[in-house]
Amino acid sequence: MTAALACIGRWGLAKTTLDDVAREARCSRATVYRLFPGGKDTLVSAVAYAEVTRVCAAVARRFEQAGTVGDLLAGGLAEAARQIHGHTALTLLVEQEPESVVPWLAFQRGEELLAFLTAFTAPYLARWLTPVDARRAGEWAARLLVSFCLCRNPDVDLTDDGTTRVLVSTFMLPALIPD
Amino acid sequence: VVAGDLRDHILEGAYACIAQHGMAKTTVEDVARQAAVSRATVYRYFPGGRDQVLRDAIAWEAARFFERLSVATASAADVAALLEAALLFAHRAVVEHEVLQHMLRTEPATLISRLTVGGDRLVRLVKAWLAPHLEAALLQPGMTVDAAGDYLARMLLSFIGAQGQWDLTDSAQVAMLVRTQFLAGIIDGAERSRPR
Repeated sequence: MTAALACIGRWGLAKTTLDDVAREARCSRATVYRLFPGGKDTLVSAVAYAEVTRVCAAVARRFEQAGTVGDLLAGGLAEAARQIHGHTALTLLVEQEPESVVPWLAFQRGEELLAFLTAFTAPYLARWLTPVDARRAGEWAARLLVSFCLCRNPDVDLTDDGTTRVLVSTFMLPALIPD
Repeated sequence: VVAGDLRDHILEGAYACIAQHGMAKTTVEDVARQAAVSRATVYRYFPGGRDQVLRDAIAWEAARFFERLSVATASAADVAALLEAALLFAHRAVVEHEVLQHMLRTEPATLISRLTVGGDRLVRLVKAWLAPHLEAALLQPGMTVDAAGDYLARMLLSFIGAQGQWDLTDSAQVAMLVRTQFLAGIIDGAERSRPR
């Protein structure tokens, strides 16, 4: 899987073959097929799942350090943005094969992504918010993450903690913590 | 024929082709035949050929979508009413948009990449539409029309793309959504202006 990720980061999804992956991993094609019986599709799904899990774990570590709901949202957004922007394979795919990534950002699969991110963040937010508000705030933050990663705003660098603190305290906190 | 009109006419033809055959099967020849112009004319207006004319046809229909949206919300009295009307209208319009729904079933990847890769253009379009309404509103201290417009355009586009856990056919939910997630940080007193 590490080899597959390296190949995708170098050549993209369409051009990566199981031969490339086997060569990169210094094993035979037969070994790749034995571990991923469905071939390339199964391997790519497994890699995508592992990468999402790894990014979520990094964001969860940041969530656990949070002292306030604002800190959790701002820190989580910045960590998620850094993980996304620093991801070689994902960056290459967005630039060269957007059709492999962007269907996850709107309509049916967009709904699935939002539901996934909401389910992931809500339990952490529930430390400070009611379950209903936690689910709403989790989805809200997910929307901002997707929007700013998809359409960059030169004035809003989401990978910067200071920027996400301003974003969260300006637009989100007045609704979450009414004065 | 004025140049801009002919360009629009070709785009209209391209959009009709997409509606009939889908994007994958539409060729420059189809577009030229539909618009009753020569292939050379299509290439003169769209030097990038098939790719450009299809991309611009999607952008053209997206722009028309927002024109219909601005007509549907023209009577809104303030920013909150405007956003509520926009969310209700846009959600219904997407669900009822036959070509869009057909393409989402048959070629979702192509459609969504065309819509989102030009996403910056959509953000700018919605932001420009919101600007006069924001200029007329009483903003929170320190809030600018530019920052509010960028944020609200992103939120609106995000909800048009996916409603998530909200029911955008329910005007009470939409009103609550607008005064919390959309406007609490932007309009003075938005959170308190109406009972929860």
